[in-house]
Amino acid sequence: MTPEDSNLLSAMVSPKTVFLVSLSYFVLLFLVAYYADHRKRQGRSLLQKSHIYTLSIAVYCTSWTFYGSVGRAATSGLEFLPIYLGPTLIAFTWWFLLRKMVYVSKQQNITSIADFISSRYDRSALLGAIVTIFTVFGITPYIALQLKAIAHTLGLLSLPIGAAYPAIQDYAGNLPPGTDTAFFVTLLLALFGILFGARHLDTSERHEGLVVAVAFESLIKLVAFLAVGIFVTYGLFDGFGDIFQKFFETFPDRANLFNLGTEQTPYTKWFSLIVLSMMAVMFLPRQFHIMVTENSDPQHIKQAMWRFPAYMFLINLFVLPIALGGLIMNGGDTSQADYFVLTLPLASGHTGLALLVFVGGLSASAGMVMVSAVAIATMILNHLVMPIILKLNMHVQDMSGLLINLKRVNILGVIFLGYFYFRVIGDSYALVNIGLISFMAATQFAPAVIGGLYWKRANCKAAIAGISCGALIWFYTLLVPSFVRSGWLDSDILQNGLFGIGLLKPLELFGLRGFDIYTHCLFWSMLVNLGAFLTISFFARQKESETMQAHKFVDTTTEIQALPGRLKRISKAPTVVEFVELMSKFIGEKPAQAAISEFINQQEIDARGSLSDLEIPHLKSFTERTLAGHVGAAPARIILENYLSARGSEMEDVFDIFGTVTISHASSREQLSVLYDAAQIVSRGEDLQKTLDNILALLAQQFRFDLCVIRLLEPETETLLVKSLVGQSSDHFGESERNLNMETYIGQAFLSNQTIVINDTEYLDKPTSARIIKRENITCFAHTPVILDGQPIGVLSAFSRTVKGIFTKEFVALFENMARQVAIAWRNDQQLQEVLHVREQEREMQIAKEIQIGLLPATLPKSENFQVAGLCVPAHQVGGDYYDFIKRGRCIYDLVIADVSGHNIGSALIMAETRTFIHARLDGIKQPAAMLQALNDYFLKDLDRSELFVTMFYLQYHADRQTLTFSNAGHNSPLLWKQYQQKMTKLDAEGLIFGIKKDVSFEQKVTQLEPGDLLLLYTDGIVEAENSNHEFFGMERLEKLLRESEGQEPQEIIDRIMNQVRMFTGMRHFNDDITMLVMKVLS
Amino acid sequence: MREPQENPIKEAWILCLVLGLIMINFPFIHIFNTVTPVFGIPGLVLYFFIGWPLSILVIWIFVHQMEKKPRNHSTPEDRKEL
Repeated sequence: MTPEDSNLLSAMVSPKTVFLVSLSYFVLLFLVAYYADHRKRQGRSLLQKSHIYTLSIAVYCTSWTFYGSVGRAATSGLEFLPIYLGPTLIAFTWWFLLRKMVYVSKQQNITSIADFISSRYDRSALLGAIVTIFTVFGITPYIALQLKAIAHTLGLLSLPIGAAYPAIQDYAGNLPPGTDTAFFVTLLLALFGILFGARHLDTSERHEGLVVAVAFESLIKLVAFLAVGIFVTYGLFDGFGDIFQKFFETFPDRANLFNLGTEQTPYTKWFSLIVLSMMAVMFLPRQFHIMVTENSDPQHIKQAMWRFPAYMFLINLFVLPIALGGLIMNGGDTSQADYFVLTLPLASGHTGLALLVFVGGLSASAGMVMVSAVAIATMILNHLVMPIILKLNMHVQDMSGLLINLKRVNILGVIFLGYFYFRVIGDSYALVNIGLISFMAATQFAPAVIGGLYWKRANCKAAIAGISCGALIWFYTLLVPSFVRSGWLDSDILQNGLFGIGLLKPLELFGLRGFDIYTHCLFWSMLVNLGAFLTISFFARQKESETMQAHKFVDTTTEIQALPGRLKRISKAPTVVEFVELMSKFIGEKPAQAAISEFINQQEIDARGSLSDLEIPHLKSFTERTLAGHVGAAPARIILENYLSARGSEMEDVFDIFGTVTISHASSREQLSVLYDAAQIVSRGEDLQKTLDNILALLAQQFRFDLCVIRLLEPETETLLVKSLVGQSSDHFGESERNLNMETYIGQAFLSNQTIVINDTEYLDKPTSARIIKRENITCFAHTPVILDGQPIGVLSAFSRTVKGIFTKEFVALFENMARQVAIAWRNDQQLQEVLHVREQEREMQIAKEIQIGLLPATLPKSENFQVAGLCVPAHQVGGDYYDFIKRGRCIYDLVIADVSGHNIGSALIMAETRTFIHARLDGIKQPAAMLQALNDYFLKDLDRSELFVTMFYLQYHADRQTLTFSNAGHNSPLLWKQYQQKMTKLDAEGLIFGIKKDVSFEQKVTQLEPGDLLLLYTDGIVEAENSNHEFFGMERLEKLLRESEGQEPQEIIDRIMNQVRMFTGMRHFNDDITMLVMKVLS
Repeated sequence: MREPQENPIKEAWILCLVLGLIMINFPFIHIFNTVTPVFGIPGLVLYFFIGWPLSILVIWIFVHQMEKKPRNHSTPEDRKEL
């Protein structure tokens, strides 16, 4: 069959048929999409199948591929190939690059490429807006190209064969005049986009219908293309070899179509196209949408890695045969080469095949238009419209309805913007080349996306600068020349450069010439884009929030929970209900409720089932992510920030002690710092009240407790008394004492000597405590015993009214340490008090001692008849020994020596009492025995009560008669040295010590003294003075001393005895009081 | 934590990418850039349309190897997703 033959066949397809086929196909698409949604509702999602994912990625192959590849092959030879080789190459990286993008997007609920970039860089609204605007300008015209293809092929189908191919304005062929088929197709596609792409607001939720429909379309376009390829290769010709052979025979001059490094296709251009397509397949908004946002399972990437290249291989396999076949059959005319795919079957009369091809082309266009429209509409809504809505600060209860409608309007808007482009710039150079122009635009996102995924330092300013500069170069070196070639701009700028500056020629920027337009643009835009991105990333500093985002993107394969940095918590945090209300406002009540229940389910919250203070930030992040899934990351951040700041809530640093194991280094440092402060307070040694107040103030301030209390045990009443209190409290709560029993938590903490932690007061098992806690609106609290030497002495308590779950294991450890500091402060204070007490006692004893000394005779009477001397040395400050020498009458003197058992203040008091009694009754009681008797009666009760006893030797010396009358109450017998006889005698008389029994009779004896006689009265302190060998000083030594003291004066004798006793004991102090009274009879 | 097997796989993919980039670019393809057809088909066309399915085969083999021991390559997120 020759081309001429085919022209004879009337292969016109009636417009009705075309219309019916198109409509049927759309109905089929709707059914497929509906079925997919139906399956999903049944829980048998079609997206579970990895080949659906692969096929949907093939949305990459648009009508530009379907029809355009053949056209390019026919005119430029192999130049069509890089567009498909690039994606095959980049597929090698999918297992880490694409998978990482998918993970991050899932974690962050990312909705679009703009959202991805904005989210990575501090959720910058500006960056999102820049990417979106760039996309709208650079990529929306691509939609026009698809609409053009549909309209054009519709026209071709309905043209009678042999008719001249129409100019673009007359593409409608023999359709009824005024029929704007493109408009109807646009409307249908918009409807489809709205129905299956904007049913819900949540773009992070997959659009099953849309994706499955796109996959179905991919299948159709592959089948159609393969069909026509096989038809041309094996129907019209005799295989590949035959076509090439015929081509070489017919057009030997065009053999260089199959060569590279030619003027048409230099190697540089070849390389540039490969790079462009590598980037485009990853970063075109529709590709991102299908590959990342709509990905249902990262495992699908594995299969897609080889299936997608295989798909492209298959769809390209027959490009050259069709192109060459078309050229052969059309006499080498390339003007309609773009539509050889359609015209070849048509020309050969295969209308059915032509219709299939038309449907395939329709699929290629429709798929791209729908996905692009949904993706771009989402970007516009989230990054251009939302910020304005948020600025307007509308007080609407539920915005979700408004938002979803806005999104629908956006889809409609985007598709009709494409239609508008198509109508206005139709067949222009700019539109025809929009494919590569949009590829170049998508390539500008590559540094920000890839850098953002693998380089933590990459920052927001760098991304903004990189993309902006790249876009500027893109505009100037690619779009401006296209505009000139389309005739919209004066070619002067191409010839002479901007403002006539030669270096600014758009195609030879800064004098770089010799390259094709794409290589030139790629070089400059990437140089500027990457240069700005790398340089600014190096020098600009990231904000803390930006670093967090960077971490989430770069370290996505590690556990997200183990984020470094300071944990935050929210002051005046909203409740769960309030978060739900906030979400409801933007996404509707039902989805909000569903989302929150999902969150609650995911949280491994305590058995008590409520959120702790530290989980609220998680809830905040979750809310933000959920909102991000609907409105994009940047608006979500703004919504949350506005909401929290309106409440006066702030994110604040929390001590890292709440963190996980991974940050324990930091935590122990924080912990130590608080403990260090506490120890400092204690070591200042201020008074206990002040110290405890300061410790509590530190605790309350650092951890924002509403109330901190220290209660200490009052041993007498067995109650815990409030010792210190910081924070707000009512009278009954913080300030009242607590009984020691297990009915209260504080009692339990004290009695069990263990810390009691209640992280959520919703669930208490002690009714007494529960009542109080509820009344005080306490949300969580802890009691820890203040322990000293293993014994509890009090309880440290902390209460919070605003937060829950503050008492983590780490915090409790710190809390117990604080209690230890309290114990130390308490012990220090106790010791200080003791020292003060002892000092006070000493002072008192000193006074007592002085008084006691005053009670002893200050001076002893002097007489020519006798000499007398006395000494009393108390073992301690005060003692129980007493001696006296009282002048009773003119020549009568009473000598008394007494020893009260013990040598303490009690003994001293009894001793004072004894002296008072004797002095008071001296006049009434004349005889020693009577005096002792009276004393015994008097002391009986007192001594019995005090368990003391008193011994006394009472003598009465009649100086004129030199007689000594004496009685004894159990005292040591005085020694009498009879000088004349040179004999030592002991004075003794019957008598019991005082206080034993009533009515004791005391014997009274009389003895005659002579001049030179020595009388020694003493207490047992002398004879019982003990040396280191536990030997007593004893009577013998005393007697010997007295014997040897003949001729000495009484004072000398006392001194000598004292010296000897001291020498004997070898000590300065004695164990017992020592008292002596020596009298020497003179004449 | 990134599992130890992850990195060799990643390196292998990058190696493939670099090799691929070399093999479809100047100067490597210059070898096949001849005017004389081989079996009636131009050298470069033949090269690309044989090399392309071979590269797909390489990816398939890699993926197949990964499928064999999926545990080694799936991160915690993978399992969660699954």
